[in-house]
Amino acid sequence: MPKAHHQPRPVGTGTISEQLPEDIRAQIGRRFPGGYYTAEPYRAWLLADAAADRPHAPAVHPLHAWLATTGGIGITWDEFFAWFGATAADGPMFGEHETVLHRRLRTDRRYRVSGSVVSAVRKRGRAAGLFDLVEYQLELHDDADGGHVATCWNSIVFPRGG
Amino acid sequence: MMGHSTVRRDAAGLRVGMEIPPWEVLVSAEKMKTTAALLADPNPIHFDVGAVQALGLGDRPVNQGPLNMGYVMNMLAAFTGSHDCLRRLRVRFLANVLAGDRVRAAGVVTGLTEAPDHGGRWAECDVSLAVVGGRTVLRGTATVALPGAGAGAAESDDHEENKT
Repeated sequence: MPKAHHQPRPVGTGTISEQLPEDIRAQIGRRFPGGYYTAEPYRAWLLADAAADRPHAPAVHPLHAWLATTGGIGITWDEFFAWFGATAADGPMFGEHETVLHRRLRTDRRYRVSGSVVSAVRKRGRAAGLFDLVEYQLELHDDADGGHVATCWNSIVFPRGG
Repeated sequence: MMGHSTVRRDAAGLRVGMEIPPWEVLVSAEKMKTTAALLADPNPIHFDVGAVQALGLGDRPVNQGPLNMGYVMNMLAAFTGSHDCLRRLRVRFLANVLAGDRVRAAGVVTGLTEAPDHGGRWAECDVSLAVVGGRTVLRGTATVALPGAGAGAAESDDHEENKT
């Protein structure tokens, strides 16, 4: 069975590590409030349709793992960006993503979402300039029996100017 | 749009290096609006052409990264016979996809291992998404379960674990 990765990864080549400010470093390990997510049939239908797939309940499109973890993370995007002293206007970008599915996602099941910030590093690239690379990971568990359903690992790039 | 036809593969017919049948779609601005609502994503570059123009990003909305990843999942489901066969997908986002772009998901099998627990094989794959005739916008790797010869994709069941 494939395992989720947990180690920070380099961002391209030609980047130089820089000192990470303490207020950013302090976010490493910070846990999300978390919460619950139910894959309601209409949301499963709409997501499958948006992804140019054919909806087929009770199965849901595997992209729903991302939707579920994001929906149950317990904070808004703006609040998450603020943890790192950023706003949406700074242009944060998804860098990488990994979904590992341990169990099938189904409609009308209640999932518990939990997770934390895994790492944060500051880099300088020739083209990208100064940026912070933040990794966070979210877990999805079936609320009925506690079974592990999915792991979603993400990295976000926060441009820092300069 | 294409990609709903199912291409079931018997494990015996697979080999390392074989190409996964590509999957194409014309990217729709309307789907981006739905996705922005589903993801509670307030970024206007996905639905407001005026905002896109104001940011100097052209005059077409920018597709959400998760949708780009979803197209690759669709390709893998068509290859294996079911979304339930997907175990892992890792992607790096390289460039934007814009409304009106035609994109093609592609892949190649890079490794095969026996999976006695489900009677088939694990297939490791390199995957990508590219604008047809243009840039590659996403690269990654995936692991999918392939049924054994004569066996279909696993059937749906609320409590059934993905076989490991």
